[in-house]
Amino acid sequence: MASIIWRNYKGEEMNSLERIAATIRFRETDRIPVIAQVFGHAATLAGVSVDDYVRNGETLARCQLNALKHYGYDAVFTVMDTSVETESIGSVLQYRRNQYPVIERYALSLDSDWNALAIPDPWRAGRMPEMLKAIGVLRREVGNEVLVVGCTLGPFTLTSQLLGLETTLYLAVDDPERLGRLMDYATEVIIRFGQAQLKAGAHLPVVFDPSASPAVIPPKFFREFELPRLKRVFQAFVEAGSIANWLHIAGPVSPILPYYSAAGVHIANFDYNVPAMEARNILPTMGLDGNIKSLMFVEGEPEEIEAEALKLLQVFRNRGGFILSSGCEIPPESRPENVAAMVNVARASGGKCQN
Amino acid sequence: MNDPGMNDLVAAILEGDAAKSVSLARQLRKGGTNPEDIVVHGVEVAMSALDAKCTIEQFNLLEIMLAGRAVTEVMKILYPTGIAMAGTKGTVVIATLEGDVHDLGKNILKMVLIGNGYHVVDCGKDCPLQKLMEVAEAERPIAIGVSGLITPIIPLVRQVKDQLALRRLDRVKIIAGGAALKQSTPDKLNVDFVAESAFDGLHYLEELQGRGNE
Repeated sequence: MASIIWRNYKGEEMNSLERIAATIRFRETDRIPVIAQVFGHAATLAGVSVDDYVRNGETLARCQLNALKHYGYDAVFTVMDTSVETESIGSVLQYRRNQYPVIERYALSLDSDWNALAIPDPWRAGRMPEMLKAIGVLRREVGNEVLVVGCTLGPFTLTSQLLGLETTLYLAVDDPERLGRLMDYATEVIIRFGQAQLKAGAHLPVVFDPSASPAVIPPKFFREFELPRLKRVFQAFVEAGSIANWLHIAGPVSPILPYYSAAGVHIANFDYNVPAMEARNILPTMGLDGNIKSLMFVEGEPEEIEAEALKLLQVFRNRGGFILSSGCEIPPESRPENVAAMVNVARASGGKCQN
Repeated sequence: MNDPGMNDLVAAILEGDAAKSVSLARQLRKGGTNPEDIVVHGVEVAMSALDAKCTIEQFNLLEIMLAGRAVTEVMKILYPTGIAMAGTKGTVVIATLEGDVHDLGKNILKMVLIGNGYHVVDCGKDCPLQKLMEVAEAERPIAIGVSGLITPIIPLVRQVKDQLALRRLDRVKIIAGGAALKQSTPDKLNVDFVAESAFDGLHYLEELQGRGNE
């Protein structure tokens, strides 16, 4: 049972988890759900250095709870950065004060023997256990009141984090079969990590797959290489108890959105590169989240955020299935009043929302 | 120029076939074609065709990378000593600034600019502002290109213009690009141009030089 009841804002009849679950099933909710993609920003808000935040599960969870209390949105995240899996496989990271870590040396090269690769144990390898610890703390605190979101990379993105993106892209052309084998390995790593997150208490792991964006790879490549592997990942997550499959790819994703159903996606993220109406038209029956520009939370004013949020609500007014959100991460240095402005729009959406 | 060998070279670059491109460039050299003609009538023609294909809606990074790799290999055999080719359209200094190690966008810009006849000085990724300024002072470029995938480098980007002014390099134009920076505006970033893509950056340079119609 949750130690604190994270609900019952005045006039709200549903808790966050109920609201999100109903939204993605296109059922009636008490208001539009709002998920701020707050990761390192939770550290900044709490006065904690981002590099401490991404290395300590307890710290991460406390910062997330603090941000949840501050903003009152509908989900908490245990996203650390995009190097958790690759570090556990042998990439060497550089940690810098108050920044996300960067890869100093990739785990693999074209000369490596990829046949000898072992699947890392999420309960022991690198920072994976810290993420699992954060999930456990958060779930214990919020129970089934608020959505607890874990995180894995997508197969192509993890592959690019093992080899380097340029090397991976050239390999896609020079030796696609070899690339496919490495992507199969990455898929197994992701499945094992996601299953552990679900066991630790996550309601779902969001799958971050920035390198699979059409800004990087052609849609045909996505269809042939990434789609079957994403399907395996999401199927395994559902079997392990994930309440929904959430795919997060930024950039001009319109050409690949039609493949999301086949991948088993229930919630599709879209960013400012895709107009809301276009996303709505391409995926009429899928949950969508987006798409306020990330940088607007740093450079913009609360009034601008509010205007953008209201426009989004207007687009989805009669459609439902929509979670108000940023299109990508809300940067650590964002202005808190801008995050609050987005949350307030959702909270003020009040009344019954027909999904 | 209607040289079948040159046409084959253009096609090979567009196909992203580095080995074939190098082989064809070698044949052209053996046949007496000088490196400058191969660049102008082969490499630049191919890059121009790729530019026309890559619209905002149909931007294929992989295709550009493959063509860029072919161009890089061809340039190596045309200029084995690494000496910049004659008749350069000018020097552009590029960097991913300190705090950001994502350099794919910068590398794409480099390929596109080299393939279009610019001399490019690459300061690499995670580049301190001081180093960028030292290179700018030494190279006296027509422009500086900074790319950024993450937002925390924005305060550094905003300093570039003032730092150039301190060194009396006010005439150097600043082009910003990359996933984080292209969400912003030239005013907010204190730069001259925000490029949607590498080719967008190229077009700005070409207009700057009054060469847009060449």
